[in-house]
Amino acid sequence: MMRAFELTKTKVRYPGSDFPALDDVSVGADEGEIVLLLGSNNAGKSTFCRLLNGLVPNSIPAQVGGKAEVLGRDVRRTSVARLATLVGMVFQEPDNQLFCMSVEEEVAFGPENLAIPRAEIIARVEWALEAVGLSGYNARSPSNLSGGEKQRLVIAAALSMRPRLLVLDEPAYALDPAGRLDLYALLRLLRERYGMTIIIAERDAEEMAELCDRVILLRNGRVVADGPPSEVLSDIDEVVAAGVSPPQIAHLSSLLADRFPGKTRPFLTTDDAEKEIADLVRTAGSGAP
Amino acid sequence: MTRFKDLYTEADTFLHRLDPRVKMASVLLLSLLALIMSALAYLLVLLTFIFVLLLLARSSYRKTAFAMKFVLRFMALIAILWPLFDPSGTPVLIRLGPVVITEPGIWRGLASAVRVGCLATVWYILIFTTSQRDLVRGLVKLGLRFDFGLALAIALRYFPTFGTVMESIIDAQRSRGMEFEKGNMFVRARKYVAVLGPAIVSALKTADMLALALQSRAYGARRNRTYLRELKMRPSDYVALVTVLAMFIVPTVAKYAFSVPI
Amino acid sequence: MNASVTARRLPIISLQDVRFSYEGGIEALKGVSLSVARGENVAVVGGNGSGKTTLAKHLNGLLKPSSGRVLVGGEDSSKTSVAMLARTVGYVFQNPDYQLFCTSVEEEVRFGPKNMGFGRDDESALAERALKLMDISHLREQSPVSLSLGDRRKIAIASVLATSPIVLILDEPTTGLDSVESAQLMATLDVLRSEGMTVVLITHDMRLVAQHMDRVVVMSEGSVALDAGVEEAFSDPDRLRRCKLLAPPITVLAQRLQAQGVLPKGAATPLQLVELVARVRGERQ
Repeated sequence: MMRAFELTKTKVRYPGSDFPALDDVSVGADEGEIVLLLGSNNAGKSTFCRLLNGLVPNSIPAQVGGKAEVLGRDVRRTSVARLATLVGMVFQEPDNQLFCMSVEEEVAFGPENLAIPRAEIIARVEWALEAVGLSGYNARSPSNLSGGEKQRLVIAAALSMRPRLLVLDEPAYALDPAGRLDLYALLRLLRERYGMTIIIAERDAEEMAELCDRVILLRNGRVVADGPPSEVLSDIDEVVAAGVSPPQIAHLSSLLADRFPGKTRPFLTTDDAEKEIADLVRTAGSGAP
Repeated sequence: MTRFKDLYTEADTFLHRLDPRVKMASVLLLSLLALIMSALAYLLVLLTFIFVLLLLARSSYRKTAFAMKFVLRFMALIAILWPLFDPSGTPVLIRLGPVVITEPGIWRGLASAVRVGCLATVWYILIFTTSQRDLVRGLVKLGLRFDFGLALAIALRYFPTFGTVMESIIDAQRSRGMEFEKGNMFVRARKYVAVLGPAIVSALKTADMLALALQSRAYGARRNRTYLRELKMRPSDYVALVTVLAMFIVPTVAKYAFSVPI
Repeated sequence: MNASVTARRLPIISLQDVRFSYEGGIEALKGVSLSVARGENVAVVGGNGSGKTTLAKHLNGLLKPSSGRVLVGGEDSSKTSVAMLARTVGYVFQNPDYQLFCTSVEEEVRFGPKNMGFGRDDESALAERALKLMDISHLREQSPVSLSLGDRRKIAIASVLATSPIVLILDEPTTGLDSVESAQLMATLDVLRSEGMTVVLITHDMRLVAQHMDRVVVMSEGSVALDAGVEEAFSDPDRLRRCKLLAPPITVLAQRLQAQGVLPKGAATPLQLVELVARVRGERQ
């Protein structure tokens, strides 16, 4: 299977900046993975995302050292427009990405630029709207949609170019908690149905443990941890040091392990936590170890 | 500030279905016709025709009232002021010192008022029945470069957004005790620095993000892009165009070739 | 939990059956009654479009009710200018970009007191105090535009604090901040509260609410769906979910353990929950 992306000793430095935005990053992902890029503000998440679709360095000037490949292509030698057919990009605020006057035009914009024949565009628009649950919204005005619908429309507008990778830079920024869960459910669905590779950059790891297969923890432009969520998120010290608040349940798991060594197994979900703590409290009086 | 996002009203009338290019051409021809004609009676016929079309456009009552208010005021103003400044002809009806009002002056004032009414309201037909995207699409199809069309469409799309941002900024400054109503003109103008500064900053940020979003959606990938919605002239479009052309040519020829007083 | 205390204190803000419709007819508030006592800490929560920002804009007169009454410090908001109400209620907008325009942080912070006609000495004293409270004295010479979002938020808050309001309204002040910046900001708010500031916090982050606030007003579709102490507000996760909100995982867990009789109530953070476990285990042994 082809690697979705592969960075090897990648270094990105913006002109006039004293510190590299990404420093000696060697990390990759297989196709079909859901990867969480976790880090505080200025950890390098946005640079990472923009490197994957070639905005860095093709549109935003930057020095890129090392190797940076997406689906086997060197991002420095591939135009942003060409990469758009491989990598769909979703930014923070939908209002800054929806510039058309109707939903269908928004979704058709990418394919139109790629000079896809009209019949095919129509099919793609219908498919993309269906994939994000906005079928029948064709003639609506994007500015009249709800926050959650807008973000789904942004995703549809990327999907219509049939990318294999979807990169989302803090996509839940403008959403309420329920909208955030809906979005995550949609992303899981896209992976299940279409085998898409999904890279999500977030500042906050709550509710993420169950969504992603892998977590890449960034700190000051460097990868400080990379592995399954159960591993990365339960290393609370590392997560906190990276300026990220750990998921509460993972945090609890680690605090309990410190306080009662050997008495609990690590957990990530509320259900497991409930069982562990109930056991822990009940065994206290019985004199069991 | 932004009472209506735009004057367009969604509906399914024959005017809505017409090709935007036909509508643009028709509106232009009817405007020219209003300029060519000078007889009050014919101008009234034209105005009535335009009003009938406006009724058929089924625009919302509120939007129509809002749009017509300005036109009617302007028409009244012209009808009243024109005779004061055009004292040629006889009979003289009123002579008050330097002010001379003649009967032909009054008729010409009325004709000018109706002409201005025609010129303004005929464009409402276009604006009421054509969405901004159809307007832009029509212009691009007529030869406007796609980049310019896109820029225009984005400007139109973000106009109301920008209005909301301005309102928020004004609210934010009022919350800090700023009173925009107080002080003379210069003091007040200075106060708007507190609004324009943040407005420009946020507009620039939006523009920056938009540029990234456009590129991420393959903008500029191919020189010849395709279009989801192609404008196509239908038989009814030709009928409409020929009708309006006739409405324009017949009176024009009659007036200039045969000196009919139209 | 402190409802009896609230009732005895005089409300600084009270809303009586407030209805409000935006132009175009959408009714954003459908009869909201609410009062905030001096020194209270109220979180206003709800999904997007629930009416929480519309509600907040009524608290300092930016919006006037279509029907019903809003009393701010005893004054009817419909009969008082925003500038007058600003002396009682400070409002910090979500986006600091909408607020900041001066070339230096110090000027920015002085702008409010200057508008309100405080004397030059008071102006300086108020600005100094606000800069210190928000811990941004070292930035005074800098231009707000060039600073990070976290710093710009602090400046925006300082510039409102400098007008020495009795009530401080914050519209989603932690949006876009990372956990370090957000923790700093909330710690500062805790200091303000301990000094007697009345705080109204609009937020999506229920973890912050659980840790820092006393009372929760849940907005849903233009109405108050719930007005209660934090414990009670989070006691029914399904109800929160219907209002497009999520109770913090720790709160959900603590309540489940309580229902099973495993732990007593009172845990809002992981650390507090561990302390409870330790205590209960100690008692059992």
